[in-house]
Amino acid sequence: MRRTLTLFVALLTFGGLAFAQVADDTFVWIKFGNVNTLDPEGVYDTASGAVAENIYETLLGYVGDSITELRGLLATDWTISDDGLTYTFNLREGVQFHSGNPFTCADVEYSIERILVMHDSQSGVWFQSEALLGTGSNANDDESITWAMIDNSVECLDDFTVQFNLPQIDPAFLVKLIYTNASIVDSAWAMANGEWDGTEATWREWVGRDPRGGYLHDQMSGTGPYRLVSWDGTDVAAEAFDGYWGEQPAIRNVLIQVVDEEASRLLALQNGDADRISVNSWGVVESQVRGLAGVTVHESDSWAATVVGAIHLNQAVSVEDNEANVGCGDWGCGIPSNFFSDVNVRRAFAYSFDQQEFIEQLYIGKGNTLTMALPPSFLGYDPSVPIYGYDPEAAEEAFRAAFDGELWEKGFTITLSYNTGNTTRQTIVEILKANIEDLNPNFRVNGRGIQWSDFLTDRNNNLLPVSIVGWAPDYADPDNYMWTFYHSAGYYGRRLNFDDAEIDRLLQDARSTTDPAERASYYSAVAHRAYDLVPTIAYPQQSPFMVTRSNLQGVYRNPMLSGQFLWADISK
Amino acid sequence: MLTFILRRLFMLPIVLFAVSFIIFALLQLLPPTQRAASFITSEQQAMNIEAIAEEFGFYEPFYIQYGIWLREVFRGNLGYSRTSAQTVLETIAERFPASAELAIFSMIPILLFGIWLGTAAALNRDKFIDQFSRVMAIVGWSLPTFVFGIWILVIFYGGFGLFGIGRVSNTFLTEILRGDIHTPTGSMLIDAVINLRFDLFWDAIAHMVLPAITLVVVVSAQIMRVMRGSLLDALSQDYVRTARAKGLPQRVVHLKHARRNALIPVITLSGLTVTGLLNGSVVVETIFNYRGLGLWFARAATQLDTPAVTGFALLTGVLIVLANLVVDTLYAVADPRIRYD
Repeated sequence: MRRTLTLFVALLTFGGLAFAQVADDTFVWIKFGNVNTLDPEGVYDTASGAVAENIYETLLGYVGDSITELRGLLATDWTISDDGLTYTFNLREGVQFHSGNPFTCADVEYSIERILVMHDSQSGVWFQSEALLGTGSNANDDESITWAMIDNSVECLDDFTVQFNLPQIDPAFLVKLIYTNASIVDSAWAMANGEWDGTEATWREWVGRDPRGGYLHDQMSGTGPYRLVSWDGTDVAAEAFDGYWGEQPAIRNVLIQVVDEEASRLLALQNGDADRISVNSWGVVESQVRGLAGVTVHESDSWAATVVGAIHLNQAVSVEDNEANVGCGDWGCGIPSNFFSDVNVRRAFAYSFDQQEFIEQLYIGKGNTLTMALPPSFLGYDPSVPIYGYDPEAAEEAFRAAFDGELWEKGFTITLSYNTGNTTRQTIVEILKANIEDLNPNFRVNGRGIQWSDFLTDRNNNLLPVSIVGWAPDYADPDNYMWTFYHSAGYYGRRLNFDDAEIDRLLQDARSTTDPAERASYYSAVAHRAYDLVPTIAYPQQSPFMVTRSNLQGVYRNPMLSGQFLWADISK
Repeated sequence: MLTFILRRLFMLPIVLFAVSFIIFALLQLLPPTQRAASFITSEQQAMNIEAIAEEFGFYEPFYIQYGIWLREVFRGNLGYSRTSAQTVLETIAERFPASAELAIFSMIPILLFGIWLGTAAALNRDKFIDQFSRVMAIVGWSLPTFVFGIWILVIFYGGFGLFGIGRVSNTFLTEILRGDIHTPTGSMLIDAVINLRFDLFWDAIAHMVLPAITLVVVVSAQIMRVMRGSLLDALSQDYVRTARAKGLPQRVVHLKHARRNALIPVITLSGLTVTGLLNGSVVVETIFNYRGLGLWFARAATQLDTPAVTGFALLTGVLIVLANLVVDTLYAVADPRIRYD
């Protein structure tokens, strides 16, 4: 017994050593999601972006939590030509890379040309390529891309002046330049370490190259306030860069740890071993985080989420070999291919979706409805557009009117698929099922959980009559959402099998001007028309939140930053 | 004996070939776009699903895909693991020592506790210690590892602020990432000694306490029950009666004559258990964020990280062949009647 006691005391002693608060000049963030790559070309996920945005710099950046106000980082000022095709930036002088190399225009030219050349299929370079080359493909898939096009797209006028030449107007070009893949890398250092040498002679060999095999994958030399200490494949350490051109940050050391298990993250926060942790849902915040000593839950009415989701109603679903989704392909035992081509059916679905119930069930009340598939904080969002509320009578009326009463008389059986594990999509399906089946005993709505990969395949093959989709922005411009959701050639729009010349024209017009007021009016017009035609139903967003220790000062939330705030802006 | 060992080792390449072949064959059951879907985390990337499948050669015939992989393996390249963002070999080199360290650290108490309690239970059949061990076994067996793990984490780390998660504390982790502490072996304890950092040594031990307790409670139950059953069986054998009749002391009869014979099934089981632990315990490593093979494999499997899963399966094949070899050798040690010549 005494031996056991001794052992226990000994264990307590070791344990005591393991318990230590985070130092005042150190920021520890414990989260889920591994960094994918640190090469700017390949950064297209928030885990990678959250590191890269503090170590590399782009020409421009956002001011604090604003997504419309821009400030110069490596550029000091800029001019746009009257035709909107030429952008000229004056660059900051006296800036040093982490390697000690000086920053000049050659680095800008190299960095932008490098991503346009490499452009691997998993990356987000497609939207930079659309702006600068006029195509979203890389040079392997689009034969029309020549070295001259890439070379001409970005030119140095002198050591500290760079000019971008666009093939067509792109109102989103400035904000695209803020995206992490437009980070400026140390060209001399990259070339010396075996990256692309920046010349015409070798560019072909680098097209489509996966950055995960390269030197920049886990090594960084940028101009940012922090330099990478190391990334071991999971955890990341960074420290303040003494040679930084701007103000020295208060936080000198940063440690990012990946911990998959939420309970373990919560305990680390509670014990002060973490300054910030990732928490999955409001449910966990309210039941396990709220009220912990020394812990703050940050939330604000002004924080708008940027993830937008919609219930897509496919107007010409394939009925061949698709029994799983459309049954027999006819009334009663299934649905016909053109089920959603009647606007009454689409309206009936919209009236059957109880948005308040959805917010209560899924977000425990912490959410907001949307008038259109665009975040409220974005240019062009129009709060005056009406929203379809839950209205069983209106739904019944619309169903009765559809297909001259044939639908109401014969009934239908529809299967709504969602990817297993996605509780948002599952909840929507369950709400629709309950409310629609309630209207008529001949209405059958089945929910079906399938694997993510099957979901993607079925959607690509036009097999889903209804697909519930979500979109997170690449860059802070309404076109990134509106074109995607509503245009007949947009990524989601083309899956609707819905073609409205008016909407397409408005979206094209909004793309062809840089005047914000004019663009906003086009988007508002699209939203009003989309209310009448209901091609898709935007579902409510979850209100954002953040969980940190209370002594962390200066926390803000910029939805366009992968880490919501920059490390240089916080202190303890 | 030597020929026996060599013969066994010759089997190794065949096992590895079969394992990798089966995995590749199974993967062919998935359509190329489905395999490419595992690379996709956002809707934006889903736009390029065909191009991704093309880029990774998923449209090539089976024998070409397998041939390319095999050629790379002979060059010492097992591929790149997305889940660890390193090559598979680097990941194994880094994580195997971690899992091995935890395996050894917990295997000693697991074996001592299991064999001791099993012996005590068998010798005191239906007495208190036997009933106690039975309850312990039921609890250990039926309690899911993640439940017990989270309990003790909440009690010790959450309640008293003891031990913590990860392999070392944040301050040491920063020093390691900074390169101030060199980690040539990957085993924290050995590396701490090499660096003459005894604070790190204690810290690393403290971080293994909770995972080890979880493993002891959960794993030793089985060893305990097998030990008890096997010993009860041995105690009723003729040679035990003979030994008693010779007037040998009780202790010698039990421990030398009966237990030694009863150890054979325990050795078999321990071999499997050690292999399992060396492979990393998925649940324990996930809960305590102990960065070993188990944590890696769990992520790799859910994300269809093919090179990682294949590399992990090959490693498991090697470990099982070796563990069986060690077990068979140990039979001969425990029971002199067993000979392989």
